[in-house]
Amino acid sequence: MTTNTDGFTFETEALSYMDQLYAAALRMTRNPADAEDLVQETFAKAFAAEDKFTPGTNLKAWLYRIQTNAFINTYRKKQREPKRTDADAVEDWQLAAAATHQSSGLASAEQVALDGIGDDDVRNALSELSDDFRMAVYLSDVEGFAYKEIAEIMDTPVGTVMSRLHRGRRMLREKLRDYAAERGIYDHKAGS
Amino acid sequence: MPKRQCQEALDKLFEYIDGELTDEELLRIGAHLRDCPPCEAEHRINERIRLLVSQAHGDKAPHQLRERVLSTIQMAREESR
Repeated sequence: MTTNTDGFTFETEALSYMDQLYAAALRMTRNPADAEDLVQETFAKAFAAEDKFTPGTNLKAWLYRIQTNAFINTYRKKQREPKRTDADAVEDWQLAAAATHQSSGLASAEQVALDGIGDDDVRNALSELSDDFRMAVYLSDVEGFAYKEIAEIMDTPVGTVMSRLHRGRRMLREKLRDYAAERGIYDHKAGS
Repeated sequence: MPKRQCQEALDKLFEYIDGELTDEELLRIGAHLRDCPPCEAEHRINERIRLLVSQAHGDKAPHQLRERVLSTIQMAREESR
């Protein structure tokens, strides 16, 4: 068991990540009640395993890892959502084909369209991605974790993290383009 | 416009944006982006979306959650005493 001084440091630092863990939990569970339960469970597990934490290492990443495991083990099973097939839907040839230039007209049309995209659109688009893609994008874009840290948090090789990021961001971008097109602020034929 | 350089820049665009490249790659791709407007446009769009995502997610933990967590910790501390 740690001394009171260490306990205080661990506790204070761990609690300082509560807002961030809650925001991430909302993205994971897509539901405020489950998000609260998940964060509560994360802190309970973290404090029970406090002596397994190596002081001086990345506490934030350690907490995210606990929360990600808790989500996978309890909430994902509980949700029993129909298995999403995003992972299968995007083939490598589609990624390769997408990694090309677009016409300058199309690029500027897309830049203009992004001006009309609000926070709600972004949150909706992200929530439509499957769990693995959504979490990889969230951990990188919002939390700024390095690929290696995301690999540890998601317990997966760095190559898988990169592939999830590529696919997740590409799908997110397509969804944002779709939202803009529905609202008439993006013309996919511009400049063609 | 050298196509091979475009391919490399586009393939590594996310790593460029995420700060995951070696110094050598960073300089090479940065230089290409400055010279190649279509690649730079792709870069800007992706960086913009990354920024939109990071700005859209700043939820604060509700007070009742903070209370629940604090009482859990307190109980755990008392038990271990």
